[in-house]
Amino acid sequence: MTDLVVDAGGVGKTFGKGEDRIEALRGISLQVSKGEFVSLIGPSGCGKSTLLRLIADLTAPTSGELRINGKPPARARTDRDYGIVFQKSTLLDWRTVSKNIELPLEVMGIDGRPDVAARMLDLVQLADFADHHPWQLSGGMQQRVAIARALAFNPSLLLMDEPFGALDEMTRELMQQEVLRIWDETETTVVFVTHSIPEAVFLSTRVIVMSPRPGRVSDIIGIGLSHPRDEDTRESQRYYAKITEVREALRRQEPAKP
Amino acid sequence: MTGREPFESHETDLFIAFEGDVPTGTRTPSAIRHRAVDILPAVAAFVAVIALWETGIRVFDVKAFVLPAPSVIIERFIATRDVIWSAGWNTMLEALGGLVGGTSLAVLVAFMTVRWVPVREGLMPFAIAANSIPIIALAPIANGMFSLTSQIPKMAVVGVVVFFPVMINTARGLLEVDPDEIELMRSYAASPREVMWRVRAPHALPYFFSALKVVAVLSIVFAIVAEYFGGTQDVLGQYILTKANLFVYPDAWAGILVASILGTALYVLVLITERLVMPWHVSFRAADAS
Repeated sequence: MTDLVVDAGGVGKTFGKGEDRIEALRGISLQVSKGEFVSLIGPSGCGKSTLLRLIADLTAPTSGELRINGKPPARARTDRDYGIVFQKSTLLDWRTVSKNIELPLEVMGIDGRPDVAARMLDLVQLADFADHHPWQLSGGMQQRVAIARALAFNPSLLLMDEPFGALDEMTRELMQQEVLRIWDETETTVVFVTHSIPEAVFLSTRVIVMSPRPGRVSDIIGIGLSHPRDEDTRESQRYYAKITEVREALRRQEPAKP
Repeated sequence: MTGREPFESHETDLFIAFEGDVPTGTRTPSAIRHRAVDILPAVAAFVAVIALWETGIRVFDVKAFVLPAPSVIIERFIATRDVIWSAGWNTMLEALGGLVGGTSLAVLVAFMTVRWVPVREGLMPFAIAANSIPIIALAPIANGMFSLTSQIPKMAVVGVVVFFPVMINTARGLLEVDPDEIELMRSYAASPREVMWRVRAPHALPYFFSALKVVAVLSIVFAIVAEYFGGTQDVLGQYILTKANLFVYPDAWAGILVASILGTALYVLVLITERLVMPWHVSFRAADAS
């Protein structure tokens, strides 16, 4: 029917009531097509995580129209249309790596769980760690398991909320490479929240620049770097030019009129 | 271990004990390592205390009705072993009955209060009020409810003692879950039941065991206290009371020794169970890594 995975029209979100009310998002209009890799970037308080949580139906919009795969977000969630990765890996300590990946499959009653887990571990290149416990892994490895878990039930949409925020710079760049490879192999649509400009540029097909108080979309920048992207991409002129473009977009932001 | 004096406000003791024993992630794996070197200080201290006690009694010529020497207690412990272990076994049954009953009910109520908010709001004030009852005052009344020789009233007293700390601690463990983990389950469209079994219950295990370690020892203490108020003679409480009334203090002390051994055995049993049930827990990791 439609190739739009995310379709937001004039979406707003206000927390609290009366004196304490905070307008987190105002008039967000955004379309994400199938197969895209879209990053949401902006200073803290711009509502980028809130927008992701609206898409995930972890919270509900107070105004506007939001559709995921042409459905209301609640329906998309119960249809298991998306997988989500948080900044913390939120792996369960009492389960092995394999069993953590099987968690969504257990909840959803999907059969052949060990096979799926093995396949996902191959995908994130952690096959040797299937029987380890999460706390025996490094931070980067834990996030790879979290990604494997999010993709285990083959969702059409992958939501990532600053997934590499807690990692060091070297690990971070490796993880970005990994995510691009996984995106390429699985043809999943990705919505990625970050506050790192180079990260957003390196990963994305489009970067959505947001501004704070209240959170709005201030710019949408197409990246247009060729694929596959690698270390050479990070040293190309076009990459630098795009980083500058995003940085300037963030700098020209002005507060909204009340 | 606190809470040895049954007539003191045990509620306060309990709370101190389990506030400090809640899993924090940095807890050191004390009493769990197996290396001989680690238990050496404890053994040395134990031997030193016994030696000091023995010497002190002999040097100052302390009379047996004040405090008998360890050697005398051991002698009576061996001489009366059939009687005291038979009494000990009966007391153990009461303690276990109360422990199992009280713990089961506590866990059930904890799950209900977490699962259904109205249950929590309705039951919590009642539970707190119930906890302020001086449990010891219940013992003679409980005795009156059943036949004089019944073990049920003793189990009931133990059960009431056990219930509150286990219930509160378990409920706390069920509730104190990383919100991200709850949201993760929500993203899978998991039912509340799935969240309970796959996330909350495993989280509550360390809290549950912390409480269980405290109440396991208390169960023996309170079974004995309940026995003081009458009932069959072949139990530790009555044995100790009778011997003390007859001024046969070394025999009374031998009975107390049995009680300590049983309390320690229960504690160790809980410790081993804990280790078997949750080998993944943070408090065991240092040992695993070595």
